[in-house]
Amino acid sequence: MQLTENQTDALTELINIGYARAASALSELTGHQIMLEVPQVAVHPISEVGDILSSHIRGEVASVHQVFSGPVAGNALLLLDHKAAQLLNRLLTNGHGNSPLDASAREVLTEVGNIVLNACLGVFGNILQVQVTFAVPRLHIESVSSVLNSITVAHEELHYALMIQTSFHLRESDVSGYLVIVLGVTSLDRLLEELERWEERQVAE
Amino acid sequence: MNAKILVVDDSSLARRTLRQILESVGHTVEEATNGAEGLEKYFLNRPDIVFLDMVMEHMQGLEVLRKLREMDPHARVIVATADIQSGTRMNAENLGAYEVINKPFTRDRVLSALENVLAGRS
Repeated sequence: MQLTENQTDALTELINIGYARAASALSELTGHQIMLEVPQVAVHPISEVGDILSSHIRGEVASVHQVFSGPVAGNALLLLDHKAAQLLNRLLTNGHGNSPLDASAREVLTEVGNIVLNACLGVFGNILQVQVTFAVPRLHIESVSSVLNSITVAHEELHYALMIQTSFHLRESDVSGYLVIVLGVTSLDRLLEELERWEERQVAE
Repeated sequence: MNAKILVVDDSSLARRTLRQILESVGHTVEEATNGAEGLEKYFLNRPDIVFLDMVMEHMQGLEVLRKLREMDPHARVIVATADIQSGTRMNAENLGAYEVINKPFTRDRVLSALENVLAGRS
């Protein structure tokens, strides 16, 4: 299953808008400018997703996991390596960045993930005119492979996943994190339909 | 006017941020960490304004809002959520939310929403 050039273009544009909103939210929270990388959009067999993520982040990651449901359902993840998680916690609490991620730090990171992921997904919902419902976000600190094992997309059996992946950097620091959205095939079909409608609306307006 | 304000949010970061902003201008703040606790504190203390999160464990914000308005049809609720979807805003307004503000909070937006509600402009 492959996206056409037009589908990839439209999807990348949508993601750019959503990620810009997410970056803006993160910047407001931290007081630092956030630099975004160009997102990479592709459909992968679910079995390959772990290897792809592992090539970017190694070891344990702090992941905020936001399940969303509705016409388009899936999982959104904010992935931070340990250094990034500590820095974010320090920026938001004036605490010490080298301390272990205690309960308070975990709660702060969960809320950061909640805000950033909602900002991004909310833009998608608004632009595509589909309403999605969010579950309570969860923070996990575990290996990338364990993160992936916890991904479920409603009750769909996952064969392929649309993977939208981008990294961001906090300026004045060398830490980065990743935003990943995984959709099942049914949601992907619906997403592509809505993208076509979005393009038609833009032309008509 | 110094208002009595109830903040219902499962995030301590969000509660702390709102408390600091609201107390800095002289309001009194009480916190609830979930919807059920929020309903109980509203029933017992009848705050002037409620700041209410939308996505919470056990009872979602919209359900809390509906129950608050059943308990008190004049309950003045400001929804404070990370969900920026226009559909979510519309749902909250249809259930009687006076204002909807988005996270991350800014001092200006929090206080202007509060002033609007206290002044009866919302």
